[in-house]
Amino acid sequence: MPWPQTRRIIGTKVQRLDGPDKATGRAKYSFDINRPGMLHARMLRCPHAHARVKSIDVSQAEKAPGVRAVHTIVKPDAELYWAGAEIAAVAADTEEHAEDALRAIRVDYQELPHLVKESEALTAKRRTVSGNAMTNVEAAGDFATANFDQQAYQGAAATVEGTYGVPIISHQCLESHGLVAEWNQDATELTVWASTQAVPNTANQLAQYFKLPATRVKCITHYMGGGFGSKFGPDIQGTVAAELARKARAPVKLMLDRAEEVTCGGQRPSAFGTVKVAGDNQGRLQAFEVDCYGSPGIGGAATVNFNLLPYVYSAPNVKRKHSRLRMNVQTARAMRAPGHPQNCLLTEQALDDLAARLNVNPLDMRLRNLPANDPNAVDNAPTSFLALRNTIYTREIDIIKKMCNWEQRWHAPGKGGGVVKTGLGVALHTWGGGGRGPNPTKVTISADGSVLAQSSSQDLGTAQRTVTAIIVAEVLGLQPRDITVQLGDSVHGPSTPSGGSTTCPGTSPAILKAAEAARSAFLAEIAPRLNAQAGDLTIEPGVIVNRTNNQRTPWRQACARLGMNPVQATGDWPPPGQLNAMTPAGAALRREWQQTLTNQGVGGIQVAEVKVDTETGVVRCTHVWAVQDCGMIINKQGCESQVAGGVIMGVNYALFEECIYDRATGRMVNPDMEFYKLGGIQDMPQIHVHMMDMPERGVIGIGEPPTISTAAAIANAIHNALGVRVPQAPYTPEHVLAALANRR
Amino acid sequence: MKNFTYFRPTSPEQAVGLLEARWGNTELLAGGTDLLDLQKEYIAQPSRIVSLAGVAQLNNVSIGDRAITLGAGMTIAAVAAHASVRQHAAALAQAAAEVGAPQIRNMGTLGGNLCQRNRCWYFRDEHTNCLLKGGPRCNALDGENKYHAVFTAGHRCVIVHPSTLAPALIALGASADVQAPNGRRTVELAKFFRAPTGPAEREHTLAANELVLSVTIPIAGTRSASYEVRHKQAYDWPLVQAAVAFQGGQNGAKATGVRIVLGHVAPTPYIAEAAQRALDNRAITEASATAAGRAAAEGAKPLSQNGYKLRLIEVAVKRALLLASGAKPYWEV
Ligand SMILES: Cc1cc2nc3c(=O)[nH]c(=O)nc-3n(C[C@H](O)[C@H](O)[C@H](O)COP(=O)(O)OP(=O)(O)OC[C@H]3O[C@@H](n4cnc5c(N)ncnc54)[C@H](O)[C@@H]3O)c2cc1C
Repeated sequence: MPWPQTRRIIGTKVQRLDGPDKATGRAKYSFDINRPGMLHARMLRCPHAHARVKSIDVSQAEKAPGVRAVHTIVKPDAELYWAGAEIAAVAADTEEHAEDALRAIRVDYQELPHLVKESEALTAKRRTVSGNAMTNVEAAGDFATANFDQQAYQGAAATVEGTYGVPIISHQCLESHGLVAEWNQDATELTVWASTQAVPNTANQLAQYFKLPATRVKCITHYMGGGFGSKFGPDIQGTVAAELARKARAPVKLMLDRAEEVTCGGQRPSAFGTVKVAGDNQGRLQAFEVDCYGSPGIGGAATVNFNLLPYVYSAPNVKRKHSRLRMNVQTARAMRAPGHPQNCLLTEQALDDLAARLNVNPLDMRLRNLPANDPNAVDNAPTSFLALRNTIYTREIDIIKKMCNWEQRWHAPGKGGGVVKTGLGVALHTWGGGGRGPNPTKVTISADGSVLAQSSSQDLGTAQRTVTAIIVAEVLGLQPRDITVQLGDSVHGPSTPSGGSTTCPGTSPAILKAAEAARSAFLAEIAPRLNAQAGDLTIEPGVIVNRTNNQRTPWRQACARLGMNPVQATGDWPPPGQLNAMTPAGAALRREWQQTLTNQGVGGIQVAEVKVDTETGVVRCTHVWAVQDCGMIINKQGCESQVAGGVIMGVNYALFEECIYDRATGRMVNPDMEFYKLGGIQDMPQIHVHMMDMPERGVIGIGEPPTISTAAAIANAIHNALGVRVPQAPYTPEHVLAALANRR
Repeated sequence: MKNFTYFRPTSPEQAVGLLEARWGNTELLAGGTDLLDLQKEYIAQPSRIVSLAGVAQLNNVSIGDRAITLGAGMTIAAVAAHASVRQHAAALAQAAAEVGAPQIRNMGTLGGNLCQRNRCWYFRDEHTNCLLKGGPRCNALDGENKYHAVFTAGHRCVIVHPSTLAPALIALGASADVQAPNGRRTVELAKFFRAPTGPAEREHTLAANELVLSVTIPIAGTRSASYEVRHKQAYDWPLVQAAVAFQGGQNGAKATGVRIVLGHVAPTPYIAEAAQRALDNRAITEASATAAGRAAAEGAKPLSQNGYKLRLIEVAVKRALLLASGAKPYWEV
């Protein structure tokens, strides 16, 4: 194994190194950056859900108090497809002046018909979005296993059919999208402080847009307050801010306000599906049939990744019909495990309804439908997820069963007593999460004993600084706090965007290689000065040991021998180009990379407990237990807190969140944190996390998987509490009361 | 935000002297938790702001044998924490403790709470020209209305009144002292609110150049409680609130002078007269409280999306009555 065989720090709980900086406000986010002479920019947006711009007149805005630059984004005659489409932008000395100036811009619109409700878009006979289709509904893939219609339901012990749905939600990044843009004197170099999960990408895209050499654009993201898949580049506000800054010859800050963040910063597509499942009397799935649709807004992205249904489980007979409903609302963006939470909801609720019909315990139901291990799936690797999935899930089910005391807590659906009913529900999930370079990392060891690690990779909240420090400290015999880590600056070279839970698996091997290279270079440099051969020196915690005579030199004393020249080394992995070589060496590299250093594919399980007040319909989630596989754990505390964060997001998805659009105006009515509801600490369950450490598999990502199954587990817990299915998320008092009334 | 001139008078008389008689151009500023929001959203665009921060008199509190008088400038947090309020006006203390979040309670004032604007999402959207902003019709009538009024008969605008202190104060029989340009007057809070129908009206009956000086709550051995059905526990508006007050009613004794006032069901706090009648002179039991709850929902005409509130009215009234009577909350497990 390429990782250190015995690990002092890797896999232990290390507190986030920059926690105190974040908690005290010393950490400066892009939103906190204020440059000398900086202007504030705001954007004018189309108030209509579908309209043609007849004319734009910015002359009054140009003369408005405090205004230093105006930039027009669309041309007359442009057709705009959603309320929020960008029209123009203004930079002024204060935010208030910029806001006032927006209202001095005169735009004439011809309003056009719009559709913002899935129920309407599904049946409407016209198209209100771009393209040539007749309507807003686009077929997105049909599939059926052979002879489905003839054999699927034959001889089944039970067949159940249900319709389940979940609305469009918003990313609601706490730090909104945006940046500060600053040019040099002659406008040949651009620096941006951007809230982004792709630092070099952002710089590169801006360089392309402004036709500048890549070396002349710098992106800095020292800290960022949430992206969840919605912040992969400069975005329109990035190019607009830079345009305004160039025009005004002054730095410009353009951060979205809350309403813009919610209406324009990204959405997770809705999903609705009618699912019919059949099984034998043991609960083994025989047929899974789904007709589903969802809305990616005006975009064309997949909504429910239909080829994932049935999610996690296997069934011999499968039939899927999937359509995409385009509507006049913002386009979908990737959101923490794109597609998976919706798939999980559609599958797990149907499975649970079948379990209830068959009187099968939900955990047994899951065990009986797990997919088999497939040892040949990925390069015959015994450590691949597909080779291990049955084993992993079975172990996880066993662990969670004990953790939550399932035998004691669980009761048959609806069998609990009292006005406030308790229920327990379960759901499984899976995710990829493998990473790859380039993520070159530089490690510098100085004569004063200090160590610096640098990379352009960003920390989007996952404690990437701490991950970096842990690996370097492990290799150099130090403690994480001994390592200074600099991240989030494009001058440090390329790095991969933080999407798909790839940052830790993509950077960890590079950090390891860099630290090992620095160690070798360091030992080679000091060996003569310690009267030793480099090969005789080894590092133990805090000391350099000469194996031949057991001479022990403390770290600082050894570093002091470096004199004026620090030792520097860079590491990256996989080595560029060689990975794909169809040679034995290439294959060996692939194995090392994909199966021991890092890996891809995880499974997890969550159980939720809810208390449902049957008089008011109010649901409280009281406990969530989560068991998560993630290969080799670098920072156990970081992993656990990623799981907790994922669960919190899942609780909100289940109980609170919904983008509500007004049929008549086409506008979102709750673009805020008041009626777009997000739970606070009092609304959150106790979260119990168990991390399955499987170091032999290498490092795999953790960011996305733990948010996938929470909502489905809660949906099933509510069903377990009440004995009736609340089909439509979020599980609000009105939805719960309606489901209870239907039963009466 | 439209630019404005800021005034900081030191007496109520000076303050009202700076206000125009018509709504629109001048505005009182207390804690600012509502007004600043409305200004930033261009819903309120006053050119003159009259701050109440320098009017020391508004912070007075006096506790007598027969009544408690709370200055309109008192923060909601201070109302919630005040020992006499907790002792003699439990419903108010409970409602105040549940308002928004600590930040809102520490800045928001009693006067501002009573005079705050409604939270309708159409009213608060700059780009929607709803009835209250001079538009042709109320967008909520056939729009997104799950948080709107269920007592809709006779109303052209179907907001709910946002204040959760108001139902408690009305149930407790409180009145407001008001400074007008030509002197002072007293208004029962039961008559303080009204359903607005256009830009020239507010959710209350004060003239644009009047201000609330204080609120007086009689001390009359009243038992009271406020119960909110909330979707979230962390800051959220109630879906439905019930505030109740009565004399007696303890340990099976009969309750008299029963007052039942609902919040978030109508454009004004809603006095549930049928429910009051159903309970007057009867012991508070689970059965009688349930019956009162049913009566409270009588006459409601919900909109397309808020029929669920009728059930919540029944439950909120029942639970508030049981709480006030000292019963153990059966719903807390
Ligand atoms: C997130 C959130 C949650 C909330 N939840 C609740 C809740 O659960 N229950 C609830 O009741 N409220 C709630 N509120 C509203 C809050 O209580 C009010 O915003 C606050 O009470 C207003 O008081 P203020 O002093 O800040 O008023 P300001 O914002 O200063 O003024 C509000 C209005 O009242 C007028 N005004 C102020 N003082 C006087 C006076 N003495 N005489 C006449 N007019 C006056 C002003 O001119 C202005 O029109 C919530 C608010 C927010 C933002």
